[in-house]
Amino acid sequence: MDLTRRQSLLALTALAAPAGIALPAGAQPAASRAETLRQVTGNAVNTLDPTMPGSTREAFGISMNVYDRLVAFGRRQVDGNWVFDHTVIRGELAERFETSADGLKITLHLRKDARWHDGTPVTAEDVKWSLDRAVSAKSLAGPQFTTGSLTKPEQFRIAGPGVIEVLLDKPDRLALSNLAVPYAIMINSKLARQHATAEDPWAQSWLQNNTAASGAYRIDTYRPGVQVTLTRNEDWKGGAEGLPFFRRIILQTVPEAATRANLVERGDADLSIDLQASDITALETRGKVKVASIPQTNGFTHISFNTQVAPFDNVKVRQAIAAALPYDSMFKAALFGRGRPLFGGTFTGQPASADFPQPMPLKQDVERARALLAEAGLASGFSTPFAFSAGQAATAEPLAALVQEALGRIGIKVEIQKMPDAQFNTLVAEKKLNFYTDAGTAWLPATYYFFYLYFTRDQRWNFASWNNPRITELSNAARFETDQAAYDAACREMIGILAEQVPLLMLWQPNMDAVMAANLRDFTYQFYRQVDFRDLKRA
Amino acid sequence: MRKLQAIGRRIGGRLLSSVPAILGVVILTFLLMRVLPGDPAVFFASGPSAGQQEIEDLRKQMGLDQPVPVQLVRYLQDIATGNLGRSMTTGQPVLTDMQQRLPASLELTFSALFLALACALPLGILAALRPGSAVDHVVRFLCTLGVCMPTFVSGLLLIYAFYYLLGWAPDPTGRIDIFASAPPEITGFLLFDFAVTGDLEGFRAAFSQLILPACTMALFVLAPLARMTRASMLAVLGSDFIRTARSIGLAPWRVILVYALRNALLPVLTIAGIVFSTMLGANVLVEKVFSWPGVASYALDALLASDYAPVQGFVLLMATIFVLVNLLVDILYGLADPRIAAE
Repeated sequence: MDLTRRQSLLALTALAAPAGIALPAGAQPAASRAETLRQVTGNAVNTLDPTMPGSTREAFGISMNVYDRLVAFGRRQVDGNWVFDHTVIRGELAERFETSADGLKITLHLRKDARWHDGTPVTAEDVKWSLDRAVSAKSLAGPQFTTGSLTKPEQFRIAGPGVIEVLLDKPDRLALSNLAVPYAIMINSKLARQHATAEDPWAQSWLQNNTAASGAYRIDTYRPGVQVTLTRNEDWKGGAEGLPFFRRIILQTVPEAATRANLVERGDADLSIDLQASDITALETRGKVKVASIPQTNGFTHISFNTQVAPFDNVKVRQAIAAALPYDSMFKAALFGRGRPLFGGTFTGQPASADFPQPMPLKQDVERARALLAEAGLASGFSTPFAFSAGQAATAEPLAALVQEALGRIGIKVEIQKMPDAQFNTLVAEKKLNFYTDAGTAWLPATYYFFYLYFTRDQRWNFASWNNPRITELSNAARFETDQAAYDAACREMIGILAEQVPLLMLWQPNMDAVMAANLRDFTYQFYRQVDFRDLKRA
Repeated sequence: MRKLQAIGRRIGGRLLSSVPAILGVVILTFLLMRVLPGDPAVFFASGPSAGQQEIEDLRKQMGLDQPVPVQLVRYLQDIATGNLGRSMTTGQPVLTDMQQRLPASLELTFSALFLALACALPLGILAALRPGSAVDHVVRFLCTLGVCMPTFVSGLLLIYAFYYLLGWAPDPTGRIDIFASAPPEITGFLLFDFAVTGDLEGFRAAFSQLILPACTMALFVLAPLARMTRASMLAVLGSDFIRTARSIGLAPWRVILVYALRNALLPVLTIAGIVFSTMLGANVLVEKVFSWPGVASYALDALLASDYAPVQGFVLLMATIFVLVNLLVDILYGLADPRIAAE
């Protein structure tokens, strides 16, 4: 029998047809490239549970998109860019909440239609378990929650179906805000408890590589150190503006910054928030991509003194150095001016605003510096090392060179020390560096919180080892102050003392430069300094 | 049969005699990591609210609160049971990480070595046949260029030319197109896996991702291989048996490829073995530039974070591979020169 060409084709088609029909039932059609967002980063996600010690900032970012919290911060526009707004708190997994008049009880009502990723309803028991886990398990969540006076499981009470009460001993200003931070994940307790063991009652090891969440995205693939892909949760109800635009997210680790820049410019990747400053200026001039430059309003770069060690225990020496530095040149050399200065403030005594960080009255005055140094009895100068970490070398190296040059002019001999990050961090924690530059960020940028975190107590984040009884007193009082005027007064006094005592020199807030495809919009600067994929859209 | 037994005994003996060396390397790395400044507990407890208590807890969890000898004994016990510890940088057991990343590194290294040998042998032979000629100078120039240019420079240059300007190469990120579906997980060697499953499209994709990093590395190791081939060929070509072969009128190609090359291969094999081991560990820059998820970049990240377990695991792995490669080279010696196998 002779087969014609047509007959063979027909036969082939018949063979091929069943393969075409046999698509998996119920599968979503794959997300198109336009609905897929690809972010490239130099770092990596190392856990799906953000509360684990050692979790990276990228892990926080992923968890914000995968887990819901009870509440979330709002956002506002500043100079054409979206920035998070910690003063506006809206419900996320909670539909609404109210705080009692005395500020001692927060009642949260869960969304009736809220579902976990496995389809089971979200209950008050799940929420109670998640909150108990945050304060009981050995993790990073515990110490964070104490800054909101949330310390023990008894403070969380189920008050009926879908209603949870948070009880406080004192009206802590940041109790509610703490429920919005990356650590405050709400976990499907029925699922998680199946994987709990006697030694690990909070399923910490299971949750490191698995999720039990309800958020806007589900984890599709998780390859630690390489990439994470997310798919949109079509049943998500927690957003302020409905479902997110992007159906698929790829967060990929690309260690080489120049390669990341190439990828974004060629349009193969959509977004990167950790490019080199020099690449960013070049990308901007070529104009193929969009750059959102947003000051990191909750962070600060600083030069710290060890206020417990001579000669920096002498306030005159600190003031002399503060007056000797060329702030403008440092700002231009280190950041190419990409940021918000925290020097050059004009107030004397106390500032008009209670906001912090705000520009401090720091300006170069070499004559005054010499005079102050003479008053301190060190007219002939002294010598000191000045340290920074290799990870910050791109900005810290030019900064250090200028510090060395400027202090040389008033007789202080500076020896620059560049250290590997791990070594630098260890020395900072052990208070063994006397003069160095570093940076800090506070998730909750309330003025008292900054002072409590960075300027009180003998702990790692007290960069300057500063011990000022009045600051301790004021920051503790401000924390529970319900009267806004009294709170503002306390904050202004603290800022005034800081400006006069200069335990550390506030320099600037570097910009976050989000470089993205020209058609992306609504990028929001978040307090955890990662990308909130839920807000992003493609025009 | 007796010959096979002899070979088996020799392999066994070699493996046994390498145990003290590996043990020494393991202990040395272990101590070195602890001498290096930098406390991993502080590094990993650097969340915005982590205090002294968290650092202490983490230190305890990582077993760093124990005296160093106790830690060492525990570590050796763990190794004996196949547990290499957990990486803090990826949050995964080191063994799992290695299993996933080693094939990527090996595939890249094998491809690069193959490419380098395929270029270096002909180039070396050509240069040896006409020493001092234009060909010789061109080969010398190529080798010098390859050695002088650091791999990250040549890598970035290749990316700039073939990806950024020309757009011929796919984006230089990892082993496979990020938007494509996941590769079959059989051996972890993508080219092999795709070939086995008959996925030609996938094979092409994986191959096009591999070609730039492989070229970058091949360029770097071209010099030792080509120069060694040239030197060794020169020595052999000047020897008596070649003159004899020529004088009795054997075909020139037969003289060169069969009699000269086979005798000249021994030093090239030695160098190839060393080059392979070096490449596997030293290709960290290539892995970084091309976002290649291999073991070397993994170890470097861990080292920068003072993450002990992955660095120790990496060194152990490298020591083992070095022993195996040397063994393999010895066996290949026997094939190239039967006189050695008979000893």
